[in-house]
Amino acid sequence: FGLSLPAVAVLLVALLCLDPHCRVGSAPICAHGPSGCHIPSLADLFDRVIQHSARMHSLSNDLHSEFEQYFLPSKNHIGKIYRKCHTSNILTPNGKDNAQKLAREELTEVILKLLMAWRDPLFQLHQSMAHQQDFNSFSSNKALEMGDMAHELRKGVEKVAEKMRVLGMLGNSVTGLSAAEAMLPLSDSGEAMSDYELLYCFRRDSNKVQNYLKILKCRIVPEHDC
Amino acid sequence: TMRNSGAMLILTFIAILILQAAGVSPPGKPRLTSCRSPEKETFTCWWEPGGDGGLPTTYALYYHLENSETVYECPDYRTAGENSCFFNKNDTSLWVNYNITVVASNALGKNISDPVEVDVVYIVQPNTPEHVTAVVVHDEQGPFVRVSWEKPRTADTRSGWITLLYQLRVKQEKDKEWEEYNAGMQKYYNVFSLHPDKEYMVQVRCKPDHGFWSEWTQTTYVKMPDYITRERSLWIMITIFFVFIVVILTWTLNVKRNSVKLCLLPAVPGPKIKGFDKQLLKSGKSEEVFNTLVIQGFPPTTDYDNLLVEYLEVFDNEEQELVLDGKDLSEDCMKSKSPSDIDSGRGSCDSHTLLLEKCMDGREGSGSNQHQYSQHGETRWASTESSESQGPEPGSPDSANGRGKTWPVVFSSPQPQPHHHYPVGAAKPAYHSVPEILNHLSPHAMSSNYHQLNHQDILQQERRFSKPACRHSQSYNQFNLDGIDTSAPGVAPSPSLEYVEVQRVNPENMLLLRPLSDPNREPEGSDCTREDYSKVKEVTSNNILLLQRDMSHQCVDDYSQADQCTTQQPPHPCKPAVHQSNSGMPQEAIRVMGNGYVDSTVLMPSY
Repeated sequence: FGLSLPAVAVLLVALLCLDPHCRVGSAPICAHGPSGCHIPSLADLFDRVIQHSARMHSLSNDLHSEFEQYFLPSKNHIGKIYRKCHTSNILTPNGKDNAQKLAREELTEVILKLLMAWRDPLFQLHQSMAHQQDFNSFSSNKALEMGDMAHELRKGVEKVAEKMRVLGMLGNSVTGLSAAEAMLPLSDSGEAMSDYELLYCFRRDSNKVQNYLKILKCRIVPEHDC
Repeated sequence: TMRNSGAMLILTFIAILILQAAGVSPPGKPRLTSCRSPEKETFTCWWEPGGDGGLPTTYALYYHLENSETVYECPDYRTAGENSCFFNKNDTSLWVNYNITVVASNALGKNISDPVEVDVVYIVQPNTPEHVTAVVVHDEQGPFVRVSWEKPRTADTRSGWITLLYQLRVKQEKDKEWEEYNAGMQKYYNVFSLHPDKEYMVQVRCKPDHGFWSEWTQTTYVKMPDYITRERSLWIMITIFFVFIVVILTWTLNVKRNSVKLCLLPAVPGPKIKGFDKQLLKSGKSEEVFNTLVIQGFPPTTDYDNLLVEYLEVFDNEEQELVLDGKDLSEDCMKSKSPSDIDSGRGSCDSHTLLLEKCMDGREGSGSNQHQYSQHGETRWASTESSESQGPEPGSPDSANGRGKTWPVVFSSPQPQPHHHYPVGAAKPAYHSVPEILNHLSPHAMSSNYHQLNHQDILQQERRFSKPACRHSQSYNQFNLDGIDTSAPGVAPSPSLEYVEVQRVNPENMLLLRPLSDPNREPEGSDCTREDYSKVKEVTSNNILLLQRDMSHQCVDDYSQADQCTTQQPPHPCKPAVHQSNSGMPQEAIRVMGNGYVDSTVLMPSY
């Protein structure tokens, strides 16, 4: 151990010489009121959330392409293997008109439902990919990141909903999501879905989420991007 | 029955063969080429027929959604054109896989294409952007082009349903490659760094966040104005400034070029080798130049032991002073003010004390002095210390020591010198014997500038002159300075030094010399000896040494006797008296040293 007694003494002296008033404390972020602090507006929140969802979708797209490229060379196979995604029970608008007909609250709820439904399956996916040697570590990391992003996105959308509720934009018809909503990725036949199927389904659902968020944003805070 | 079915089979087979021979067949397999959605609300699929088989063929597109068995047929075969199927909004569902097939059928049969899975969300290709404009905007930093456009009409970006990203490209007509710029989601873009006075082509396209790029718009042309960029004008200014500075520097250097030259190339002392001809060095070969420096016969051999001619002492008759020409007094006096400082080609040996020392040394038999005289190529007529009883001689260059006086150079450079040794133990130091001068000079080539003294029989002239009271000698050596006379008539060179005094100048322009060993010489105790020295007035072009007559009150005519011998000659030269000078003596300019001696070296051409 390299530290000798003089070095220790020096350190002690240095510590003693520190300003006793300089203590680490936590200061409130916006102590001086709104002018001293930048509270993100609803538009900012929406932007952040949309960016998040875009990133998440891009990750799922990459993973799906890798899977398709390395493990399923023949495209014709794809169509025949599909089983129903576990989120197909959730009613989601499949067109612009349908989406625009939905109320904000419903749209928000759909988004939250989707994100909630994917919490466990994504974790499962990552686990499964990490254990298999077919995937390289890069893909496994992507799956992990994807799962984290879905989780954060859900939290973010919840915050947005909260903000909207505070602002009076949302009615109280949005019910809190219960744990019952969390689904297990089980297909009709009860078998666990394969990794590829999970990837395929999640790619689609992340696209839905991104699209719904954009609609919601342009409906609630129509600014320069809309 | 079997027989019937067999017959049917054979008949069918034959019919097919016949039909094939006729060139008709069931249709070929169609193929779905692409499906595209321009706005994520509708989509269109195109197929290509596989061959109609010679018969009119109809095509039908069938599809079913994923996880559903219900098969639907294409709702619209016309809107999108030939061999296409258009799905309108009602028939389009997103995030659902469509399983599409095309069936071609004719009279003979039908053919089904391979199925294609399509999810509309992933086949979006928007229409091209619209209303592309490119405008030149003038800014203080320079003009630039602002390109602006509008979204394709069909795309609904306002509701956020579709997000479009734009891209534009620019090039000149002649360029091969386009310059591409990404504009993001905005509908304008500023293009900088375009060249002035050039025409540019601009195109724009767009893409949804997940989908295909649209086609490029039609070309929009824009012309840049002719302007000088700020950068270029700045460079122009900098260039002008530097040119200006360079001009100023050059002018300054030019004006001060001398001092610059002095600074950069400090003056190197040139060679001051006496008798070294620089011109010859520059033009001629090196051998010629160096040959001129070589002195034949140096170091002197023992043959010349006794032949060192050092001095010629020229005496004037009586107390006559040479005529002086006052005109050039000033300049000559200037020159002769400090005779020891005059370096008119005489060299170090000309200093009196030095000369004396050398002569003293030489007297002891070393030949060291010989080279002193040979260096400069001159003979020197100098008289070192005369007899001890002599006071300062009249007009001696240095009355202070009264020892030596140096006579001007008579001979030009580089000539071999007669060298004479001092006779060992000679009583009279440093007097030349004139005949010996003649004898040794004569065999060598001499220029016309040389003066030759002809030794003439002294005794002949003896009777011509009366001996003044102060005159010492009665016998004279007469010198004829005219021309070059290589013969030394009738005079046997004395092997030893003989001192010669010039008694006088006779009307025939002859120097009358008298050897000092003449018994008729008067004792030299008087101070009048110095009065016997005559000053050389000038050297004429005929190689005549003109002696000067001192016309002071003590001056007397040739043949007159001095009333008294003054011990000292007046320090100032005499007033010139023209009529007293011998006829025929040209009255040309004399350079006279302040003490009355003539510096004829100045009259001689420089070498």
